[in-house]
Order: sequence, then structure tokens, then C-alpha cells
Amino acid sequence: MKRIYFDNCVTSKPAPEVIEAMLPYLKEKFYFPQNFVLEGSEIQNDLERFRKIIADSINSKSEEIHFTNGGTSANNLGIKGFLTENSDKGTHIITSVIDYPDLLTNAAFFEKSGFDITYLGSDQEGFLDLDELEAAIRDDTILFMTTMVNHVVGTVQPLTEIRRILDRSGHKIAFLVDAGQAYGRIPIDVKTMGIDLMSVSAHKIHGPQGVGALFQREGISLSPTKHGVNRIDNLETGGISIASLAGFAKAVELAFDNFNDNTSKIRQLSNYLLNKIEENIPHIILNGPRGEKRSPHNMNISFEYIEGEAIMMMLDLAGITVATGSACASQGLKPNYVLMALGRDHAQSHGSIKFTFSRYNTKKEIDYTVQKLTEVISELRSRSPLYNKEL
Amino acid sequence: MQYSQKVLDHFMKPHNIGKLENPDATATEGSPACGDQVSIYIKVNPETMVIDDIKFQSYGCASNIATASIITDMAKGKTLKEAKKISWKEAADALDGLPPVKMHCSVLAVDTLRKAIKEYEVKHHLAQKDKFSKDLIIDELKKVIYPKVGEDIITLKMVKYVGFLEGVAIIDVDIPKFDKYRDNIAEEIREHLEKFTEIKKIKITM
Repeated sequence: MKRIYFDNCVTSKPAPEVIEAMLPYLKEKFYFPQNFVLEGSEIQNDLERFRKIIADSINSKSEEIHFTNGGTSANNLGIKGFLTENSDKGTHIITSVIDYPDLLTNAAFFEKSGFDITYLGSDQEGFLDLDELEAAIRDDTILFMTTMVNHVVGTVQPLTEIRRILDRSGHKIAFLVDAGQAYGRIPIDVKTMGIDLMSVSAHKIHGPQGVGALFQREGISLSPTKHGVNRIDNLETGGISIASLAGFAKAVELAFDNFNDNTSKIRQLSNYLLNKIEENIPHIILNGPRGEKRSPHNMNISFEYIEGEAIMMMLDLAGITVATGSACASQGLKPNYVLMALGRDHAQSHGSIKFTFSRYNTKKEIDYTVQKLTEVISELRSRSPLYNKEL
Repeated sequence: MQYSQKVLDHFMKPHNIGKLENPDATATEGSPACGDQVSIYIKVNPETMVIDDIKFQSYGCASNIATASIITDMAKGKTLKEAKKISWKEAADALDGLPPVKMHCSVLAVDTLRKAIKEYEVKHHLAQKDKFSKDLIIDELKKVIYPKVGEDIITLKMVKYVGFLEGVAIIDVDIPKFDKYRDNIAEEIREHLEKFTEIKKIKITM
């Protein structure tokens, strides 16, 4: 049986159309853009077309899009570029304890170099406390960073409301959004949402790995963070794979041409999984919110009395890929920090499984997964001293 | 895949899984907060001192289940004296190795087995409860595994000083600031030492 993949928040399978779109640039169209030279001009035009496709998908102008070598590069360019350029206006940054590691590691880096960071807390569903945000704003606050869709529990932050709070401060606070999980899954309009800087990544929406983009609102200035030759982007200097950018643009077209169909299909799948699990497996906890306030592609569930790495391994051996928040499966042997911030205890975090969907998943796959999962949970619970004790 | 086929076999079809009715001794080590917990139940022939039957239950990851499975296999049919000598390295070897980051799982399984044996011995006046001393702290620190290499922190000479005075245990560990397992090691040391009622306070310097 074909492998069933539910780890699309980490990376997703490139669409066949994406690979097709990339091939010419790996074969005959291998040039870098160059003015006045036939082949180079053609590439220049192609790049402008790709840029426009991405710009249109978030309602920005083409000039506001930087191509980057991935989502993390976009975040680094946005954060480091902004703070280096604007530190004379203030040195206070606000972010939260549940944000994506790109934001948190950058915050820690700037904290070391003298910036002051406020980390907002989260409620039990993964929403930021907006009163806390309002109270945290100071005269020297220059940047607020958030993860639009939480990478662990799929919570969608209320960006429009956040922008309103930032504007009430009476001075300019830049609004940086990591949209790695949100892009292609929930509608984004950088204008109405008042976003100043936003990172997106190609490989999370069935594009190729290694390319992404940074939206930089007109009027927001960034210092270069990577010095070198200007080939494709004036800030992301050096080469960027043009084949990958072609694939990226194609992935965006595919995601946005049928945006409503794609996302409602994915939401149906994730809700179907949750319903089936709730019907078949007792003692579970849904991590993150229910319904529309959650990204359609994410379902995160804790299975009590057992440990997630064992669940993940058994599903893996049954041909199903999922992720877990267990310390046993993490790099630093720590329980997932987002789940802990949401108030889950160690055991609930260890027992969490994250399923993330794409348009290529099917109902049939979910039926098979729930059948296997029911067996796995019951088997592991039968081995657990905690389960016997409790019941 | 980081696990050997043998680990996967024991994980998928563990031997000696379950609870023993009327065991002669039992022990439980670890906790859900640490991410793994093992309970071992033994039945001992009082004449030969041979472990006649042994079972385990596990809350834990694949390697936790696999090591508990293999260790119960290894202990079955052995005398208490022999079973006590089974080391976590032997358990890991019997599984064709474990990833370094998972070595602490075999330590937990071996530790639980030894605790069950000790419980039997104390119950039957074959041994006395361990008297608390600094040496006991050091023995306990031998169960704290540095996940990067899969060896304990005493063997690796990472522990520079162990002190115990008026209820305060002082442990000085040599581990770089940027090491990703720094917090993990401190937490592990606490978890291991907290169970001693004699220790009122644990001071870890790094």
C-alpha cells in the first residue's frame, strides 16, 4: 500500500505540475537574469511573472516581494534586516512563547545583543492574550512578531485585531508575520491585515524545497543581512534556484486557483479524522481550538496514558507518517514547548500526535489510519501501567 | 531508521508483557513526567533463588518497551544474584544497539529490575535497605545518560564534584552552555535524586 503522509506542516510532496514547471529551467533555460541579452532577458521576464503570481496571492505589489532561499531565510531577512535598520527608533520587541522557532531564536539572538523582548503568553487554545499585548507596548517598541497559524496546534491568530492594537499605540510598530503554515491554507490579505513583513515557504504548499519569499511593505526599510552579488534579489544576494522559483510560482497557482475547494476539502478531512477518533478512541484531548479558528490542515490530539513516540513508531510501521510532541522524539529530549505553554502537562504533551493534511490526502486514508490508530492505542494502553491503574 | 530490527521486533511484539498475579516483588521506576515509566513484577523460587516468572508494563517509547522486553527475557531463569549483574550495556547489546539518545531507556529497565530484586531480598531478609551516603548519590548519577554519546555522566567524567551536607546534595557538572542537553541533564539529575527522602535540596552547578 502507498505510504500515507500526514506530516504536511513539515514539508509536502511536490505537485507533479510543479516538477513539470521546473524542468525547463534545469535543462535549456539555465540562465541567470541579465538585461540586453536574449536568454537573460527571458529569464528576467519569467521571474517577474513568478513574482506577480506570489504578490497577487496575498494582495501585494510585485515590488514588495523578495525571493529567498526558503521560509527561514525570509524570516531572518525580515527580522534581522528590520532590527538592524531601525534600532535607532527603539529596541523593544514583542513576540510570544508559542511562536515558531525562527522567531524565537532570532528574539534570543537580539536579546543577547541588547534588545528587550517581551514574550506574550497563550491561552489554552493557543490564542495570544491581546490585553497582554496592549499592556506590553512601550514607546520604544518597534516590532511585533507572530506566527499566523501556530505550527503545533493550528491556532489562527486574529491579525486584523492585532494590527488595530498596534496602531492604537500612537507610533509605528512593524508587524512581522510568519505565514509558513498559513499560506495556501487560510486567506491572507496583507493590505487589510496591515502586515508589514511576512514570510512564506514553497515546500509547505507542494512546491520545491529551498525557496520562499518575504513580503516587505512599501515604506518599511530593511538592511541587507547577506552581503554579496545581486543576481536575483537585492537583499537575498547570490543565486536562488530559478527552477525552484518556477516550481514555487506553479505551486502558488495550484493552491490559489482552487483555493476554496482545496481548503474546504482539507477541512473536511481533518474534521472527519477528529470525528472518527472521538467516536472510536476514549481518553483523548484535542490540542488547539475546534472549528474555523483552527487552520484546516492541522489536527493535534493527545492520547492519554501512553507515549507519543511509541504511537508514531507503530503508525510508521503501518505505513503512516505523523508527528509527535513527545520529548522522546524531540532533538533536546524536551516535551513540546507550545503544548506546555497551552497548559498541557508533561504526559499530555508526550502523548500528543500531530496530523497535518494536504489536498492529496483522502477519506480512505483516514479510514485506514483511524482503524490502525485504534489498534495501536489499545495495544499500547494494554501495556501501560498508568492505564490499568486509572481504570 | 535509527532502531535496529531487534528493537522493532521487541517493540511490536514484546515478551513478558503484562502484570503478574501475586508477585513476590514489584518495582516501578520513572514517571509520566519524565516520559517513561516501567513496572516489573517477579516470582522467585525461594529454594533456588531463580526468577521463575517475570512480567513488565511500560509507559514509554519504542526503546523503553524493547529494553524492558529484552531485560525480562534475560532475567528469566537466572538466580537473583545473576540477574542483578545484568548491565544496561548488555541489554542494549542484546538489542543490537540503541541510538545514544535512547540509552537512558535501557538504564531505566535495568534499574527497575534491580529494584524489584532488592525488594525481594529486603522482604526475605537477604539484604538490607541501602544506607544513604554520598556513594549512593554517585551510583544514582551513573544512571544519568548524556544523550549525545549514550554514556553515563560519571563514566564520561562530566561530574566534577559531588557533595552531601545537612540534606543538601551539591552536584557540579561540566557541560558547555550551548549544549542542547544541558537542561535535560539537570532535569535528569533532579529526577534521580528527588526520590531520596534524605535529600532535602539539590544544588546543581554547571
